[in-house]
Amino acid sequence: MKPTEHDITLMERYFDSELSVEEMATFSARLQHDQIFRSLVEREKIIIGAIRNQGLLDNLHYLKSVEEKIQGNHAHHSLAGIRTWYYYAAAAVVALLIAVKVLLPGQPTSEELFAEYFTPYQNVFEPTLRGTDMTTKRTEAFQAYETENYSRAALLFNELLAVKKEPEVLFLLGNTNLMLGQVSEARENFVTLINEFDDMDLQAKWYLSLCYLKSDDRENARKMLRELGETEISYASKAKELLEKVN
Amino acid sequence: MISGEALPSEIIQKIRSGGQTELGMIYEEYRSEFLQWITKEYDCSLDDGKDMYQLTILIFYDNIKRGKLEHLVSSIKTYLFGIGKNLAKDNMRKEKKFIPINQEKWIKEYLIDEPQQNLDESIFSLAKKALEKLGQPCQRLIELFYYENKNMQEITDAMQYKNPETAKNQKCKCMARLRKLVDEEIQLNSTIAKNETY
Repeated sequence: MKPTEHDITLMERYFDSELSVEEMATFSARLQHDQIFRSLVEREKIIIGAIRNQGLLDNLHYLKSVEEKIQGNHAHHSLAGIRTWYYYAAAAVVALLIAVKVLLPGQPTSEELFAEYFTPYQNVFEPTLRGTDMTTKRTEAFQAYETENYSRAALLFNELLAVKKEPEVLFLLGNTNLMLGQVSEARENFVTLINEFDDMDLQAKWYLSLCYLKSDDRENARKMLRELGETEISYASKAKELLEKVN
Repeated sequence: MISGEALPSEIIQKIRSGGQTELGMIYEEYRSEFLQWITKEYDCSLDDGKDMYQLTILIFYDNIKRGKLEHLVSSIKTYLFGIGKNLAKDNMRKEKKFIPINQEKWIKEYLIDEPQQNLDESIFSLAKKALEKLGQPCQRLIELFYYENKNMQEITDAMQYKNPETAKNQKCKCMARLRKLVDEEIQLNSTIAKNETY
């Protein structure tokens, strides 16, 4: 027997420390007498354990990067003490290179930056399974996207959207349009996604900034990247890096 | 610097409401003293000492985030050295001498040893695989909630959701998706196991 929606809500509220005294009593009784409910709770504990494990590992990797930076600084200081002359010579060479770089026209164009940073978003919404029959237009659309048949994907995604607006379809259509070089359509897709749905604002903003870049609208690209750079999401560092280059 | 003239309770509060920046600052603050002490006390290499220090800082951070450490009578330094001492002793218990610590294995055991946790190790590994498949922004969102212990308002600010209700709704959706992925991993694993028996 599968757990009910009510069971899942009760369990979620327990782990989020939201249960009242009465609800807690119900929860404890269910835990004691209901095997299915107990398994559900045990499974959730393991899932939360895995999330915490990931958090600890992420922070461990972060501390290792801090350690590397400290070691880099130490190495730099000790070298500086021994080889001052070489240091100044190297600094002069670097300064010269920077001067050449600044004086000569070598700054990447918007198009080059777009090419460097744009990769189509992976279809994580409905990955197509090998050996599964293509039965619906939806499956076919996602599969066309995955196999990089973007013209077909655009056609099918548009047909799907005509029936029902869904955030993941809009999002992948935006990516598809970018792949096809249809920047204004892509921009429209991402703007609609941001304005009409809550689900994927940050991802949509990243791709919207790339749309601006592709059409050489650096001012709007900057605005969008600045906004993303101030968040704590995975796009933040990439956004900051690109913003520096756009500036 | 995070401490300077700050009281331990102020530092704890800063870490409680902060993130990786504060974690990095506290790491730098006590690093030299800790490494000097642990390498001398336990006759271990500098690299082994660094591994111990990184775990020490992670425990300190985790204790604050989970509300297990709210006030300190002693100094932060004494508290950190205390964690380091327990870690080193625990590490030496089996071998009777200092051996290099496997950090990832240690983290897993740390989670399994948590009170009221009877983690089934095989399902734990499958849950980790499912988590990798979950992708962003779900991964980040549930990590902020279950590891960083951020509330919905803090998550809304960090991830730019429209309001805490949207964040909460999104968190429930992400967890539902993760549960489904875990089920799929378990099914896949049992199919492979069955095929191997034949």
